Amino acid sequence: MDKVAIVGFYQVKPGLDIMMSPYEMLFEATRGALDHAGLKRDDLSTVIGCNNDYYDGKTISNCFKVEAGGAYMKDESKVEMDGAHAMMYGLMRVLSGNHKLAMVYGISMPSCFPYESARILETDPTFDRPINILNGYTAGGMQMRAYLNAFGISEEDIAKVAAYNLKNAAKNPLALPEAQKTNISVDEVLNSELLSAPLRKLMYPVLCDGVTAVILAPERQARKITDKPVWITGVGHFNDTYYLGDRDLSSCSSMEKAAEKAYKIAGINDPKSEINVAELFGHTACEDLILAEAAGLADKGKGLSLINTGKLNPSGGTMAGYTPAANGLTRIVEAVKQIRGEAEGHQISGANKAIASGQVGFCAQNNIVYVLEGGE
Amino acid sequence: MTLNIDEEQDVSVTKGMIRAEFNFWVGIVMDKFYDGLQEKKFIGTKCSKCGKVFLPPRNRCGDCFAKAEDFIDLPETGILKNFTVTTYKISERKTRNVKKDQIVGLVQIDGADSAMVVPVININPEDLKIGMKLKVVWAKNIKGDPNDIAGFEPIGGV
Repeated sequence: MDKVAIVGFYQVKPGLDIMMSPYEMLFEATRGALDHAGLKRDDLSTVIGCNNDYYDGKTISNCFKVEAGGAYMKDESKVEMDGAHAMMYGLMRVLSGNHKLAMVYGISMPSCFPYESARILETDPTFDRPINILNGYTAGGMQMRAYLNAFGISEEDIAKVAAYNLKNAAKNPLALPEAQKTNISVDEVLNSELLSAPLRKLMYPVLCDGVTAVILAPERQARKITDKPVWITGVGHFNDTYYLGDRDLSSCSSMEKAAEKAYKIAGINDPKSEINVAELFGHTACEDLILAEAAGLADKGKGLSLINTGKLNPSGGTMAGYTPAANGLTRIVEAVKQIRGEAEGHQISGANKAIASGQVGFCAQNNIVYVLEGGE
Repeated sequence: MTLNIDEEQDVSVTKGMIRAEFNFWVGIVMDKFYDGLQEKKFIGTKCSKCGKVFLPPRNRCGDCFAKAEDFIDLPETGILKNFTVTTYKISERKTRNVKKDQIVGLVQIDGADSAMVVPVININPEDLKIGMKLKVVWAKNIKGDPNDIAGFEPIGGV
């Protein structure tokens, strides 16, 4: 794969109810990413956004984001999955050789719409939707039970992961303030309200408003723009079936395949020893482990050991604030910061090879994994 | 003048309410499934290549990418593959805590290779066991749609 780098980025600090319009928030992110890279809007040749018609309450949700996204009179398109998928579209545009600089952003404002209800509209309208018991809570509950049963894991182990994430969030200056819990105990997680047994409230991320933007450039441009380019050296993207009843929920086949593909492109043979940081988009504390295991960072059922190494979600992952459509890009930006040595407060020393992932669908139906590296 | 975003400041919100009615054509295979429900019967489909049986039915096998158009009658019994218990009810408009346990199960009908997400009823959550045998309970008023499945209950009590 030709070399493409992330040369600029910006994350709006997430909030439960940000007092900006989505367009004001988006402008802060895109202007911020350009300033971070020392670029002008004129330098951009393509803009790819990730936003969702239902989340925005309007069809063609990107049509009103042209100016704020930096896309006025430019090549512009939208991906309605996760920001990490939008980055793949941007990456392909750059790899085509026709674009020298791509802006990619992900945005949503769950303070303005019922996110869990939006997930009901993800369900099969001919069976699951009329019965109406499959949703984000119940899918997460069944997935957690499958994982606990398959490997003899305790609820306490998952509570440890949740507490680890929330403590990490406390060290991340761009985490949602309400998710920053320096002194959270495992008991507190275990005593939090049951959302859908055995899944508890503090094992589930807090929804918040946010935008994340990144700028991609091919090798020649990247070297001119920054002395700290972070290269995308591998990417893999796979989709599993929609039906939960067809899948083994204790693991994640699409994540396994996506990681395998990304590692192959990047020339990584032993992810356990070669990857120093993993910023993964898990929908629950339990799913963080399932995805990490599927990515080959730990043996199946042994993901808990990763919290001792600190390399899993040093930012707190989505437990540091869950911003639909921006989640995957935020994971990517966190991995980029680690490689640049700029993860203020939560830096993993010597991080030079990272993975970051995005997803959509119940129980991580669809996963996309990037391998990111520093150096030459 | 510069714009100051004060955290305490109350920013106006407009409702922007819309209401849109959608219809979904369920398709040929699901139509047959709905017809089966009308007669209190489960009708699945079978992959012409690998022989996997799907319920709810589909006209294709995603893995083989082969037709799954042979209908197959399936029994009213199955096993509990997974379950969760929640007091939350999420509708197309909001999330509510209804303070009443609802059991959601993944039930695999005997002879099927897939499982359905359905309510499990007439059992206390603490008596649930993965692998237990269950039987469908049909709704009082049969309409020929998925809500004809009132839920699944344990066979012969607990």
